[in-house]
Amino acid sequence: MDENRYREWLALWDKDAVYWVPCNDDDIDPTRQVSIIYDDWGRIEQRVERLVSGSVLAQDPKPRMRRTVSNIEIEDGTGNEIATRSNFTLVLAKGGTQQLWAGRTIHKLRRAPSGFKIFYKKVMLVNADQEMPLLQFLI
Amino acid sequence: MDRSPIDFEALTRNGRIHGSLYRDPAIFEREVEAIWNKVWVYIGHESEIPKPGDFVRRQIGLQPVIMIRDDGGAVRVLYNRCRHRGNLLCHRDRGSSETLKCPYHGWTYSRGGALLAPTFEEGYDSNLRKDDFALTPVERQGAYRGLVFASIASTGPSLDAHLGAAKEYVDLFMDLSPTGEIELNTGTQKLSYRGNWKFLPENSLEGDYHGPFIHRIAFELHGKRTGLDMSSLYENQIPDVIHSLPGGHMVEDYRGATMAPPKRAPSEARLAYVALMEKRYGPAKANQLLSTIPPLGYIFPNLLYIMTHIRRVQPVSVDETHVYYQPMLLKGAPDEINTLRLREHEFGFGPAGLISPDDIEIMERNQRGVAARGNDWQFIGRGMHRDKVLPDGRSSGFTMDECHLRGMWQYYGRLMSDPDATLSP
Repeated sequence: MDENRYREWLALWDKDAVYWVPCNDDDIDPTRQVSIIYDDWGRIEQRVERLVSGSVLAQDPKPRMRRTVSNIEIEDGTGNEIATRSNFTLVLAKGGTQQLWAGRTIHKLRRAPSGFKIFYKKVMLVNADQEMPLLQFLI
Repeated sequence: MDRSPIDFEALTRNGRIHGSLYRDPAIFEREVEAIWNKVWVYIGHESEIPKPGDFVRRQIGLQPVIMIRDDGGAVRVLYNRCRHRGNLLCHRDRGSSETLKCPYHGWTYSRGGALLAPTFEEGYDSNLRKDDFALTPVERQGAYRGLVFASIASTGPSLDAHLGAAKEYVDLFMDLSPTGEIELNTGTQKLSYRGNWKFLPENSLEGDYHGPFIHRIAFELHGKRTGLDMSSLYENQIPDVIHSLPGGHMVEDYRGATMAPPKRAPSEARLAYVALMEKRYGPAKANQLLSTIPPLGYIFPNLLYIMTHIRRVQPVSVDETHVYYQPMLLKGAPDEINTLRLREHEFGFGPAGLISPDDIEIMERNQRGVAARGNDWQFIGRGMHRDKVLPDGRSSGFTMDECHLRGMWQYYGRLMSDPDATLSP
């Protein structure tokens, strides 16, 4: 993600994917409340298609970023599925400034022949209820 | 301002806009006085505060207000300032409360703003009258189809006169609801950009022209995803799409740009929605509402209604602006239709959307561009030679024309030239 390897990132997702970044609060009803991102697999694919098209203005030039993932907890899952919870901090340099993003992520993973596939990812941003700059990179 | 007066009309005339209007802090200060503290400002929608005690925190220009529903069910817009020592009374963005209690010294008000009790009342002399210390209502308040507006000027045109011709387009936008009512209690995407507030209405209403350049991929992906071919809206030179309305309002009206039906079978929920629409409006009007996109509009100075949502513009300083996106749900429509509206909204708009972030990025670059003063003028002259000016003061042009921008700037110039005038729109 930090190296803008979008197609490889897309390949990590399973087809029943839910990619969710709630807005305003961590626990909202996404059928009645707006999110920042709520993608199924088709939308993730389109998001990636746009990112690789080279036409995303906020990615010209590509922002440099690095994130640290910590406090990783792994829950025992049933069958071939597991859930993880982790925290991240991300520093991104763009337009002469550095932005700091942070949050807690829930991943739900399924064992597949090629390794784990993501079928659920929820990113709870620290600033979900604040005025934020553009979020035009993979979070 | 004490220095030599600026001729604002000269800075906005003949399709030329002066760069100082986006970057001069003194002009921003003047806007606060001559625009934000004068005209009707959009506050919020009644559906955001459905029950007594529900409130949202908003601003009129730089001044904090709250919109709260009182015990009788009426919506009130009050200055957000404790009458005791001036503390910000409500500091949360939204909430619900039995009373409004100031956290500083405990003065407590009713949901309608009446002072219930100063604290340690025995220390005040018997002349303290509670009635003298109610929360201050804004000078004027009104609503249209649930959209609440307020003005902190005690005189001026009525809200009805201010909205004028814009009401027809607000109606078209909200008539997508099979009950005629909308719901805006859907949460708010909040965004901040480093640019002047006026870039937002300008950019938001001229997507026909910039769309092929900065949104091409997003529109192609939208077509693939929905089966809808929107190219008829953008590629053709259709007359009477762009409108400038009296009062600085702008509209893109696509009733003359019918789209081909989607290239895939409608879902059951869609069929049920269409049936509800036909029942309410009759087949002809329902078909007209559903065969193109609803109008995109700007109500001067801070309300935009765009595709999926209501958008608010909030200036912070001359080169910083906050934007609030609130998706509009259609009361009475099948749940599936409303959830799909949310998904389509998120995919296009807000900080992580595929459309509006390219606009925001452009606005930040625009702010940097107008720092160059070599030839300090922008040009918004597209279609000037063929503007159609109507007797009621509106003008209309073809897709991609800029008569609406010229109309907005003309009204802006009039307001800024004479902030003490009580202008009719």
